[in-house]
Amino acid sequence: MTAVADRAVVLDGRTVPSREVVGNKGRSIAWMLSLGLPVPPALCLPIDECRRFHAAGGELEPDTWSSVLAGIAGLEEKLGRSFGGGEHPLLVSVRSGAAVSMPGMMDTVLNLGITDEVEQTLARLSGDAGFARQTHCRFVHQFGETVLKAHLDEPGPDADPAGVRAEVRKDTGEDVPTDPHEQLRAVIKTVFGSWSSRRAKAYRKHWGISEDGGTAVIIQAMVFGNLGEDSGTGVLFSRNPLNGDPEPYGEWLPRGQGEDVVSGTHDPLPLSALAEAMPAAHEGLLTAAKLLEREHGDIQDVEFTVERDELWLLQTRAAKRSPQAAVRAAVDLCEEGAIDRAEALQRVTPEQLASVLAPRVSEAVEAAAEVVARGIAACPGVASGVAIGDSDAACEAEGDVVLTRPTTSPEDVSGMIAARAVVTERGGSTSHAAVVTRALGRPSVVGVGEGVTAELLGEELTVDGSTGVVYRGILETEEVDPASVPGLETLIGWAREASPVEVVADVGEGSIDPDAVGTSDDVSTPEGARAAIKAGVARVRKLPGQHEAALLLRFAQEKSNLEQEEERS
Amino acid sequence: MSSATDTELLALHGLAVKKAGSPAAVAVVVGADEAEIESALEAAVAAGHAAGAKGTFMVAPAGREWLDSRYPEAFADFRADPAATETYERFEKINRELLALFTDWQMIPSAGGERVPNDHSDADYDTGVIDRLGAQHERAERVLDAFAELEPRLGLYKGRLDEAYDKALAGEHEWVSGARIDSYHTVWFELHEDLLRMLGREREEAP
Repeated sequence: MTAVADRAVVLDGRTVPSREVVGNKGRSIAWMLSLGLPVPPALCLPIDECRRFHAAGGELEPDTWSSVLAGIAGLEEKLGRSFGGGEHPLLVSVRSGAAVSMPGMMDTVLNLGITDEVEQTLARLSGDAGFARQTHCRFVHQFGETVLKAHLDEPGPDADPAGVRAEVRKDTGEDVPTDPHEQLRAVIKTVFGSWSSRRAKAYRKHWGISEDGGTAVIIQAMVFGNLGEDSGTGVLFSRNPLNGDPEPYGEWLPRGQGEDVVSGTHDPLPLSALAEAMPAAHEGLLTAAKLLEREHGDIQDVEFTVERDELWLLQTRAAKRSPQAAVRAAVDLCEEGAIDRAEALQRVTPEQLASVLAPRVSEAVEAAAEVVARGIAACPGVASGVAIGDSDAACEAEGDVVLTRPTTSPEDVSGMIAARAVVTERGGSTSHAAVVTRALGRPSVVGVGEGVTAELLGEELTVDGSTGVVYRGILETEEVDPASVPGLETLIGWAREASPVEVVADVGEGSIDPDAVGTSDDVSTPEGARAAIKAGVARVRKLPGQHEAALLLRFAQEKSNLEQEEERS
Repeated sequence: MSSATDTELLALHGLAVKKAGSPAAVAVVVGADEAEIESALEAAVAAGHAAGAKGTFMVAPAGREWLDSRYPEAFADFRADPAATETYERFEKINRELLALFTDWQMIPSAGGERVPNDHSDADYDTGVIDRLGAQHERAERVLDAFAELEPRLGLYKGRLDEAYDKALAGEHEWVSGARIDSYHTVWFELHEDLLRMLGREREEAP
C-alpha cells in the first residue's frame, strides 16, 4: 500500500489494508497481489474519503481529486498506456466497495476513459470495429443508467454510441460526458453519493449497520481479451463444479471479452485449448487457482483474461457447485487436510443433501415411459397425479392432481397450491406459472404448446420439472444408492457421528415426542434443530418427505454453531 | 373514471383483480370503505355477478361479462388518454425486467450454468437481486405517480409495493415473490391485471 498525494491508496499488495479502510473489494485485490498473483493495477479512495465527501456537502475536495489524478498517472506509467487517448489508451472501471455489501449502492461502471477517438484506436488495435463500438456503447449505457438514472433498453449489437447518448438525453435531459476526467469525477461522486441513497439508508436501518461508515471507490485498469489472436477470456474452477472431481475445469473463449463467456452468446472452448495455444498463461492460471484454493480452503471460481499473452486474474470467489460436487468436494477437501470435519459438514446444505438423495425416475423406467408433452423445465422435481384443467376442480379433487392450464393467472394460485405439479401451454421460464410454482415448490413444465393439455385431461401423468418432460402414467421413482455418489457415504457417516440427536422412522418405544418437550418447531429448520438440541431431545421422528441424512446434517451443523457461539461469548 | 360513484363496478373490478377475496381485501385494492364494498358485493351476489361464502367472494361468469360490457364506458377517458398509453408502455418495460428479476430471485445459476432453486445461501447474490428490485421499485413509483394523476386510485399500489419491498429489504425472503402473501410479485401482478382491465388489453405471457 502506497499513499498517493495522501488521499488515495495504490493497491499494490505490499501490505493488505483492512476492509474498514479500503472495503471488501479493495482488500481482495490487495490480498491477491500480496500472493504475487497478476491482477490489473488499481487504486482506491478509502472509506474516509466518503466521509469527507459528505462533510463537504457532496463535493470532492481539490486534494482528493488531485490524488485521483496522481493515482491514474501511476496506472498509466505501470502499464505504458494513457487515460483518454494516445497510441495505447487506458480505460478503467470504477466500483463501490463498502466493508459490507448492501443494496442501493452504485455498483460498477466499466470502460471509463472512452471517447470517439479512443474507440477508433481500440478498433485499430483489436482489428474489430464492432468490439470498439460496443465497448463505447456499454459505457454510455452504464453511465446513463447508474449516474443519470436513465431507464434504457440494453444496447443491441448494432447500437451506436451517438444513438445511446441520444436515448439518455431523451430520458433524463442530461448528457453523458465525453471528457474522460469528467466521466471519472462524475462516477466517483455517484459512488460516494450512493452511500446515502434512500435505499442504502433503509437497508442499514433494517440491519442496524452504522451510518458512520462509508464506501471506498476502486479504480482499476481494464484489460481486454480481444486484442488479437493471443488474447481471450475465460473462467477456471479449481475443481469440477458439476461432479466434484478434483481436476481443474474451465472454459476459454479466444478473442472474448468479459461477459461474452457468462452471457452464453459465444461457444467457449475447453481449457485444453488454452493449454495448446498459450502454455505459459495456462500454467500460470492453474498455479494461481491451486494457490487460491489452498488459501480459501474451498473450490474457487476464477475469472481471467489473457491480453496479448499476458494473464490477468479479474476475480475469485467460492464456486457454485452441484449438490453432488458439494458432497464430494467437502469430503475431499477434508481428507486432503484443507478443512476440518466440522467445516466439511458446513459445506453441504441439508437441502443439497436431500437433493442428492431425492428419489428419481430411473433411466430404465424413463426409457419405457410414453412422453406426452415436452416444454421448458420451470421448477425442478418429479410429481404425479391426475390431470385437471380447472383450478377450482383441482382444489376440490381428492387424491393427487396435476394442474394443466393454457396459461395461469392469479385466480389459479389456489389450484396450484392444491396440485402436486403444474403444466402450462404458453409462456417460458419467467411466466406467471413458472414464478408461482417455484415459490410454492411445485414441479412444473411450461410452454408445452398450444392445445396440448386438452388431450391429457383426466389422465394420470408424471411431471419431471427438472427435464421439462411430461409422461403418461404414474412412474415409479427409486431411492439413490449412497455408494453411487462419491463421498456420500462418508459425509452421511460424519453427520451421524456429529449429530447429538438420533433420527428414527417411527415413534417407537422410548423415543421422545418433540411436542412434549416444547420443541414443536420443524426440526428441518435451523431454529427447530437448535431448539431440539437445547431441549436435550435424544430422538426425533422423521416426517414424510424428510430425509434422515439431511436432518442429521442439520443437527450436526447447529450443534457446531451453538458450540462456536458459546466459545465467543 | 367517469363512474367513480358506481360502487358496484368498483367493487367487482377490485374483486376481479384479486380473483377472490374478502371485502376488506377488495377495499384495500380499490381504496374504498370496507362496509360500502361489502354491501356492493352482496348486491353483486344478489344480481348473479358474484358468488360468496364465509366472507370470501368470487366473480361469477355473469359478473365477468357484465364487467366487460361496462369497462369501455367506465374507462373511456382513461383509454382515450395518450398519457395513459404512454405510461403503460413504461410500466410494461419495468414489468418485463421485474419478471426476469423474480426468476433470478427464485432460480440461481448453478455450476454448469443451469438454474436451480435459490436456497438463499449466497448473500451477495441475494443482495444483488434486492438491489435491482430497489432500482425497479423507484422506477415503479414514478410510473405510479404518473398513473395516479390520471386515476388517483392507482396511487394506492405504491403503498402496497413499498410495504413488500421494505420487508424484502429487511431480509424477509418470501416478500419478493411469495405466492400466498401480498409479496412484491403478488401486488405487481394485481396492478398489471388492474391496468389490463382498465385499458382493455390482453395479457402477453413472458418469454
